[in-house]
Amino acid sequence: MSDEQDDELESELRQLAARSDPVPLLVIQAAIDAFSWRDIDTELAELIFDSLLDQDPATLVRGTAERRMISFETPELTVDVEVSSAGPGRSVMGQIIPAQPARVDVRQRDGVATADADELGRFRSEGLHAGPMSLRLHPAANGAGPEVVTDWISI
Amino acid sequence: MQDAEIGSLVKAAADGDKDAWRALVGQFSGLVWSITRAYRLGDADAADVCQTAWLRLAENIHRLNHPERVGAWLATATRRECLRNIRVSARTVPAEDMTWFDVPDDDNPTEEAVLAAEREREAAQRGKALRRALGQLSARCRQLLRVLMASPPPSYTDVAAALDMPVGSIGPTRARCLDRLRNELATGIKDGPTPSYE
Repeated sequence: MSDEQDDELESELRQLAARSDPVPLLVIQAAIDAFSWRDIDTELAELIFDSLLDQDPATLVRGTAERRMISFETPELTVDVEVSSAGPGRSVMGQIIPAQPARVDVRQRDGVATADADELGRFRSEGLHAGPMSLRLHPAANGAGPEVVTDWISI
Repeated sequence: MQDAEIGSLVKAAADGDKDAWRALVGQFSGLVWSITRAYRLGDADAADVCQTAWLRLAENIHRLNHPERVGAWLATATRRECLRNIRVSARTVPAEDMTWFDVPDDDNPTEEAVLAAEREREAAQRGKALRRALGQLSARCRQLLRVLMASPPPSYTDVAAALDMPVGSIGPTRARCLDRLRNELATGIKDGPTPSYE
């Protein structure tokens, strides 16, 4: 078939999708609002491991959804997070490496929950919702590092 | 939109320009949404994945090495979020195949639909025939076509990133899939008319 006929059929499909499955307005609004969450003065801890997608280099198996391990990294520190699911609820247990106390803001679309990491860098936050999440770490007053935010992930 | 224009929008948004960000949302929200559908996510999961992808872009926009390739960046982020989402929900609700094909239900027309103009009725019937034909294609074809159905039309680079395919294979695969779709449409007509409203 000619390129022109292909283009015509594709365009017809595009109109079909626009009619029967348009991008919901709430989804567009959420995309616009995402801009106000950006945090340019902090260091970004990038997502480097997600047991749902990446094989554990030690065991060569992927984690289960019930017990999901995620790692974020800056050149200076690592944040390991374990996400547990119970129905629609989520909880996270984390560990900052090297160990250090910090205030941890768990950012979700409907608000921010605050947790404290202890001297060993461990923190825990419960009663979270399924959906996007990012952490912001504020080092304790005597902490050395800068403020850090993690990549957003869906939990 | 040209690469250069997209690149300047990204740079402007990275400098805090909200209008530039809105323009990027206008350009790529259709692509991001279409990818979630190509991976067969339902409404709530698709909305979560879209929001996560845009939040992630907002956090990374001033760090992109190739601002003009933001579409491919978003497509990759969306694909990975879709795969995560599929692994999470695999244990609970199996994703419906192409959820959106189910809408709307044309077999039980409302009074309003009956009264609708002839042209609309024809469009609906054609839409139904197209959906049925799409449903007969391979999963790979349905996935590719659903991404291509985004408005505005995505670049092949962005489509390749969305599906983790080589850019060079998009064109030939598209041609094959559209050919098959055309065959299915012809077969559908031959096998009998779609249920009529009269």
